[in-house]
Amino acid sequence: MKNKINIYLIEYAINSILRQKAKNFFIVFVFILLIFLLTSIFFITNSIKYELETTVDSLPQIIVQKIKAGRQYDIDENVVDQLIKIEGVKDVVSRVWGYYYFANTGVNFSIVGLNEYENQYKNSFKKIIQNVELEKGNTSFMVMGQGVQKVLNENYYDKYFNFIRPNGTLKKVNFAGTFDADTELESNDVIVVSKDTFRDIFDMDENKATDIVVKVSNPKEISMIASKIKLIYPDTRVITSDDLKVSYQNIFDYKSGVFLAIFIISLFTFFIIIYDKSSGLTSEEKREIGILKAIGWKIDDVLKEKFYESFIISSFSYIFGVGLSFIYVYIFHAPLLQNIFTGYSQLKTSFELPFIFDIQTLFLVFFLSVPSYIGATIIPSWRIATLEADEVIR
Amino acid sequence: MILSPEILAILILDFIFIFFAIIAFILSIKIFLGWDANSTTKKQYRLEKQSFLTAIIIKYIFIVKVPLFLFFIFTLDKMSNVIIGAMCAAGVVDATPYGIYLFIFKIMNLYFFGYWLVIHNEDIKYETQPYTRLKFGIFIGIFFLFIVELILEWLMFSSINIDKMVSCCGTLYSSSSTSSISIIFHINKTLLLSIFYGNFLFIYIFYLLRKKYLFVIANILFILTAISSLIVFFGTYIYELPTHHCPFCFLQSDYYYVGYLIYTLLFIGTFYGIITGFVEKSKGNKIENYKISVIFNFLYVILVSLYPIIFYIKNGVWL
Amino acid sequence: MIELKNITKIYGINTNNKVIALEDINLKIKEGELVVLRGASGSGKSTILSLIAALSKPSSGEVIVDNKRISKLQDNFASIYRRDNIGFVFQKYNLISTLSVKENIILPLVPLNLDVKDVEDKLSVVTKRFNIAHKENTIVRNLSGGEQQRVAIARANINNPKIILADEPTANLDEKLSLNFIDILKELKKLNKTIIIATHDPLFFGLDFVDRELKIHNGKIIS
Repeated sequence: MKNKINIYLIEYAINSILRQKAKNFFIVFVFILLIFLLTSIFFITNSIKYELETTVDSLPQIIVQKIKAGRQYDIDENVVDQLIKIEGVKDVVSRVWGYYYFANTGVNFSIVGLNEYENQYKNSFKKIIQNVELEKGNTSFMVMGQGVQKVLNENYYDKYFNFIRPNGTLKKVNFAGTFDADTELESNDVIVVSKDTFRDIFDMDENKATDIVVKVSNPKEISMIASKIKLIYPDTRVITSDDLKVSYQNIFDYKSGVFLAIFIISLFTFFIIIYDKSSGLTSEEKREIGILKAIGWKIDDVLKEKFYESFIISSFSYIFGVGLSFIYVYIFHAPLLQNIFTGYSQLKTSFELPFIFDIQTLFLVFFLSVPSYIGATIIPSWRIATLEADEVIR
Repeated sequence: MILSPEILAILILDFIFIFFAIIAFILSIKIFLGWDANSTTKKQYRLEKQSFLTAIIIKYIFIVKVPLFLFFIFTLDKMSNVIIGAMCAAGVVDATPYGIYLFIFKIMNLYFFGYWLVIHNEDIKYETQPYTRLKFGIFIGIFFLFIVELILEWLMFSSINIDKMVSCCGTLYSSSSTSSISIIFHINKTLLLSIFYGNFLFIYIFYLLRKKYLFVIANILFILTAISSLIVFFGTYIYELPTHHCPFCFLQSDYYYVGYLIYTLLFIGTFYGIITGFVEKSKGNKIENYKISVIFNFLYVILVSLYPIIFYIKNGVWL
Repeated sequence: MIELKNITKIYGINTNNKVIALEDINLKIKEGELVVLRGASGSGKSTILSLIAALSKPSSGEVIVDNKRISKLQDNFASIYRRDNIGFVFQKYNLISTLSVKENIILPLVPLNLDVKDVEDKLSVVTKRFNIAHKENTIVRNLSGGEQQRVAIARANINNPKIILADEPTANLDEKLSLNFIDILKELKKLNKTIIIATHDPLFFGLDFVDRELKIHNGKIIS
């Protein structure tokens, strides 16, 4: 237990690795590739999770939805007045929003209805309200995200758009501008109109809303106030920001779980290859082991040397793979892979992945790669080490 | 079941372990039944070679197991974010009926695998390899314990339900709860402390008297008394909170990771203590195992005692 | 100090190609003796060396070195015995041609995890004695035959073994280098090492510093 590290053995192991350049190069190359893919996926999901969690603005603290027979229905506007009376509640805003299916392209737009005089629960919406008038006389206006603008332009709508009401008639809404590129992830497929316009387009009652958003003064009281709301309105579903965070974490875990499953299969194949390659010994290799044993190396010594070799190879691949992944994800922003996780919709976004250092991820990748590789070399190393010296040297 | 990458990683490694453990198991049986150190037949030579393979496998499993155990704890901690009610790893352990047993088995197996390695290292120092039969026979037993651990691990992970509420340490570690640990809270604090310090004193006395088997027993008991007193008493002084009894939280950065030091000292001290029952002084080692055990246990006692003492010096009162 | 008692070695005992390499050999060699085993290829002389080095086990009989039964040693202990007591110079040298002279010579010491200073000291002792110090960093495959041989001898001596075994040491050398080798042998004899040489090179026959010459033929000692 108190042995110092044997530099000569390390040197010998490195020499031994270099003596079989072709085979080892192939192994290292494939291994780095696998680790690179795996780590990149983890880095991307970690960053997206972080991005979502810290964009507090986009996650309302409490959302109240009316549930009837397990489905969501429009909620009464007067619930707002009741909720604001609860102690600890700072602000209550009703939201009208939904999805509009644009049949030509098969794309869904998110439509949000805002009113000037209300407190906006999102800063980005505040900006819009300040700068744009959504109703001027009889004309309605809309502000849209960049993705929306692109799609509409492609369909020859460049000054206005005709929404089709539920009864088949058309509602014309003029373009007033596009969103700031601030919050790309959320805003790309969003159209902002006035609440009246929204109710017009979707034939929604004046005293109804889609859901209600509650802001509390002390974030630590969120779950308590949520349960209070549930008591007052038992026919509602009350979702807290914590719930949202949990479900995000689960979705990402699921997605990365799927990729992990694919990874395992490739890893498994990879190790079969390794096993195969390490088992086959050239006569040259056999001779070398014979020489070592003849000059006094014990089986344990040969095993130790083989272990050093596999440890060096796997650690080197690990460090290199993780390093490359860093560069790919955080400097080049992970082209291609990113799309898989941000949702492969027609309106794609690209955004900067924030850099987070999660040591557990590094350990996770380490455990998945290094011990598995070393495990794959156990039996071949043993076979080599227990060769009879005598036969080999004759 | 929560399909998080960390859990998958642990399960993958478990799978690799099972694969190798079974090989080692089969070889152990062969060797146990057929070993004859004096014979020069081909069969004996084959067994000799196979004993190397078995030894490597066991070493490998042990070497990976130790950091994996830490990783396991961290994974539990991460899972506490998604399980309602759990605020740290302690809550997750309690989320299923298997959690606590899994934990006990994991720790026990760390000790057992470690012992096997000690016996093995002793064995190969002698030309006659006197302990070979014994050690492989022992491994047959260890194998079953290991399989139990892996089964428990699988059961625990597959039965975790994120919707089910669990209790966290506040309720777990209090005298009013009904968990298995709560018994220790019913014991009077002073009594518990005196048992703890008394236990250490016995360890020291048995060391001076060189009473092997009593020394071993004292060390085994020490594991129990140390952990109990840690949860009930010393932990609260690390957290400076009379109700915080959690044995996991002080592994984290807020407490300067002191938990690692505490548990490592305890493990090494008791590990070497129990080995003395088998080999008092390793061939070629200058320090007796007795001494190592006493020193590490002593360091443990000092470390945990420092917290309440410093607290008292700083604040003038006990919690 | 070396004793072979009723040694029989049969290769391929379970196959149809049984080869009786040695048959009921008895041999005693004193410490410090230089013995030449004379015989043609296949006579069994290499097998005797191999048994003394515990590189193979006898089919029956015992090999005793320094009062220790080495014929039945388990693999690891056989290696330790070899490491501490035997310096073997192989017929084909058996050097690792892609490594340097230094790396080849210290190879027996690598697993021992000695201090760098110890290793360097031992290295300089043998490189000086066998006159290969100036080529320490040359890759072995770039050396001449004679130089390679000196490396092999240096490696055999690095751990200061009591027994030196040489199997056909001059088989690939010209006369000049063979005579060089004989000079080296004289040196080693002065160091009081027990030396056993298996050869059919007539240069070795009738040398004055050889203590004994044994003729081996068809697995038996004749003289």
